[in-house]
Amino acid sequence: MTKKAIGLLEFDELLEEHQYDILHLDGVFIGKRKIANQTVVLFQLYSFYVEVYYTQYRKKIHHIVTSGNTDILQLYIDQVNVKGLNKPGATQ
Amino acid sequence: MTKSLPPKSIVLYADDDLDDHELLKDIFIQYNSVIDLITFNNGTQLLDYIEALAPLQPKPCLIILDVNMPGINGKQTLKKLRGMELFADLPIVLFSTSTLPSEVAFAAAYGAGFITKPLYTKQFHQIANQLIDHCAAGDKAKIRKHRRN
Repeated sequence: MTKKAIGLLEFDELLEEHQYDILHLDGVFIGKRKIANQTVVLFQLYSFYVEVYYTQYRKKIHHIVTSGNTDILQLYIDQVNVKGLNKPGATQ
Repeated sequence: MTKSLPPKSIVLYADDDLDDHELLKDIFIQYNSVIDLITFNNGTQLLDYIEALAPLQPKPCLIILDVNMPGINGKQTLKKLRGMELFADLPIVLFSTSTLPSEVAFAAAYGAGFITKPLYTKQFHQIANQLIDHCAAGDKAKIRKHRRN
């Protein structure tokens, strides 16, 4: 784990590589979906969510999308493991 | 003069995600001449393979288990392997998409390592090193030597 949790706005300001390092260390995998030729993976990171859009799965990241809204879970609802998921905003 | 190649080290990998089978093949691609990677779609298949190993057949130098698999998951497979006398000391790594402290602790409690799957290519080299670090000592030396050559 990294030393401290950061917020969505602070995360958005970081350089890409730093974002990826934090996501690798502290992200909790929620689900994976496919859109056309892209694979998309959703992580919970502290109190928000990060979707990683791959052009090549686990190799080449095209872009990431961050969200503080739980609506993003709807796209992965069949894969969500409620037991392992922290409620966004809850103390961790 | 007869020159013979040493046998390859065997690494077993169980994961229900076929994309991750490809991922691990890519991670080990530079070690193709010294490592045989054998993949399974779940823990049951891997346990069946292990149980069918003849006493004189070479043991794997490392077993890599995805944590979340349908049926017998990685943690249950680890427990079963540790219950087998022949494999009680075999190097095992739980390989997961998330670094959950509870899973890291579980791995440690059963004498296994824990490695988080890479997010992108830049982490492949580091992950390959971490996995090889967990290999049985003799195999690890052989694999490292191959990399230097």
